[in-house]
Amino acid sequence: MTAPAIDRAWLRRRPPVAVPHGVKTSRRARLIFAPSLLVSFLFVYVFIGITGYISLSNWKVGTSPDLSLRQPFGATYGEIVGEQRFQADYRNVIIFTVVFLVLAIVGGLVAALFIHHVAIGRSLFRTVFLLPYALSFIVTGVVWRWIFAPSTGINVFLKAIGIQNPPGWTTDPGIVGAINSIDIGSPLKIQLGIPVALLPIIFAAAWQLVGFAMAMYLAGLASIPEEHLEAASVDGANAWQRLRHIVLPQLWPSTITCFVLLLHVALKIFDLVVAMSGSGPGFVTDVPGIYIYNYLTSRYDKASAMALILLGLTLLVVVPYLMRGYRRERKA
Amino acid sequence: MRSPLKITGAAIASAALVGSLAACAANEQANSGASGGKSLEITSWWTSGSEADALGVLTTAVKAADAGLSVDNAAVSGGGGANARQALAARLQAGSPPDTWQLHPAGQLKAYVDGGQVADISQLWSDNGWASKLPKDVADAQQVNGKYYTVPIGVHRGNVLWTNPAVLSKSGVTIDPKGGVDSLIAGLKKVQATGTTAVCLGDKDVFASAELLESLIMARTGADNWKKLFTNSYSFGAPEVKQALNDYTTILGLANKDHSALTWDEAAKNMADGKCAVNLMGDWAFGELGNAGKQPGKDFSWVTFPGQDEVFDYVGDGFSIPAANLKHPDEAKAWLKTLMDPKVQTDFAAKKGSIPARTDADISSLSEYQQQAATAFKSVPVVSSLAHGQVTTAEFAQTYSDAVTALNGGGSIDAFVSTMVQAQSSQLK
Repeated sequence: MTAPAIDRAWLRRRPPVAVPHGVKTSRRARLIFAPSLLVSFLFVYVFIGITGYISLSNWKVGTSPDLSLRQPFGATYGEIVGEQRFQADYRNVIIFTVVFLVLAIVGGLVAALFIHHVAIGRSLFRTVFLLPYALSFIVTGVVWRWIFAPSTGINVFLKAIGIQNPPGWTTDPGIVGAINSIDIGSPLKIQLGIPVALLPIIFAAAWQLVGFAMAMYLAGLASIPEEHLEAASVDGANAWQRLRHIVLPQLWPSTITCFVLLLHVALKIFDLVVAMSGSGPGFVTDVPGIYIYNYLTSRYDKASAMALILLGLTLLVVVPYLMRGYRRERKA
Repeated sequence: MRSPLKITGAAIASAALVGSLAACAANEQANSGASGGKSLEITSWWTSGSEADALGVLTTAVKAADAGLSVDNAAVSGGGGANARQALAARLQAGSPPDTWQLHPAGQLKAYVDGGQVADISQLWSDNGWASKLPKDVADAQQVNGKYYTVPIGVHRGNVLWTNPAVLSKSGVTIDPKGGVDSLIAGLKKVQATGTTAVCLGDKDVFASAELLESLIMARTGADNWKKLFTNSYSFGAPEVKQALNDYTTILGLANKDHSALTWDEAAKNMADGKCAVNLMGDWAFGELGNAGKQPGKDFSWVTFPGQDEVFDYVGDGFSIPAANLKHPDEAKAWLKTLMDPKVQTDFAAKKGSIPARTDADISSLSEYQQQAATAFKSVPVVSSLAHGQVTTAEFAQTYSDAVTALNGGGSIDAFVSTMVQAQSSQLK
């Protein structure tokens, strides 16, 4: 029962309201933040602006700048949206993001609950789960490529246990659950569905980042007061009810943080795909990152347009999250 | 907490940060601008074992010709030169280019000429009479609008069919380079019928299948029509091209199913290990197989890719010097002259696995394969590769490579043809 005392102490230290202190502090704050604001303005926003301008220009070859605006205005965007490769890339990145987030977050939660409740070897397990996160995507990607190589990898084992036609993994050009067929002349040049070849890559990415999600959840679990769980037990809640009504709601902030941070990984994925499969037959494993890289030297305008569309996709998810945080801060 | 002292401190710290950034930039300028002693900065993408050795031959030669010269090797690895070209583009933009850089002739050269970045070295060519020492097609590839901008150091061949003699003889098949594509496919089907995979392919990086299709198109159209494809005076919709596309899908059906999971070198080694009968790859595969301990003639052999008439699919390396901000003009010119020395070209070829561009270079010390390739290089039509972005613009090459990827994923031949025909009319002016 010491809380009110602290409150009073804090009130006493507060300067009289009459002093226009807020204005002064904010001016000083601005002064202190100015250099970093300036640097981030220059190196982030100005450069985004330049990329945006290039995407509207005629600049094709990287070494021959051509800053005249392309006519009709925004024609590059129209051009790439009609491409099979562009359509496949966004189908892939959306499927990748959704499945990867579910796998990594659920996997991280399960791992965290397991480690939180296991009595022995807790730090050993924590290290085991966290270790892949410390490796580079290129390193793990090469190993995963070998594991999923149809004629030498995991398929050798599958054949040994009697599976005659093991999957082709990243070499399979098929689309599962396709909701359309490709019509000649239609603006939609791909089948919408889940590319089979993408699944091993999603699995590899989730494996690598489960440790990260686990670490976030472990921190969240540690902050749940024991009393809440004890009180629930006393009231007769079983383990599932305690998880469902006490633990999960209090882990919600961890989930949101995981979601936003892992979303970045998914949308920007590049190195893991390059190492594991490249673009794949018919672009079944192609992602916007590889598209941008491929066109950087031959069509600077197209690569820039693709980069901006990817940025737009990121903002679509991140902006609501930031707005929510900002609104909550103002309320508090 | 908010004392003026702290604020001043923060201001000083930030000023120091900005100052040190400026100092860094100034340092960079000073370093790259220094021209005290004789030095030469070379940008290339030769970083792997044999490539670095081959580059070493060149730098040793240029140092021997000019005592006291220090060579700065600014090689950038990865991406088949893509990373090196990115780094070079940044330096060209900043007005601080290296003294010389590696590039492919023809289409890639044209991009640098259009950007005004490479120096016209026609004078050097005529002073030394280099044009008469090269096949005409090769000399032409070093020019843009009748002027020379680069010198060729080495020549690779893209359309070589590597074969496994044991697998072929077991199936009773011989591949006749003069027999044309139809007889090749008939032979491959015969191999397939014995239960052995006919074709090894590793197109995780799509250039491998782009090169296979390119060899088929050349085989069907011949050298002259191949060249016309890139001036838009011969259409990708021509019956010969469509025939080549049909051949391609047939051969894809005879290849290992996991081709998109393998790299080109893995596919070449599988061929030498007897997992299939043939593998199409450029002659850098010769060096790769040799490094893997495979014996030419025993573990593997080779034929020119069969076609109507023999064609030499040229994948070349050359060096150019910058048009502006050239820091060491004398050293850079001496470098180009060194590259065109026949003895240097032979020594370079021995390490790189390529063949000399000069037809008067002594090839007697090179391997049997290299000698055969050098003989063909002198006598058959030489055309530039599309799969390696040499024959035309990088944009067209990327369009082609994307169209091949679509085709590999079950895309239709009609879709491929319409994409390429449209690219011909919109990109080749």
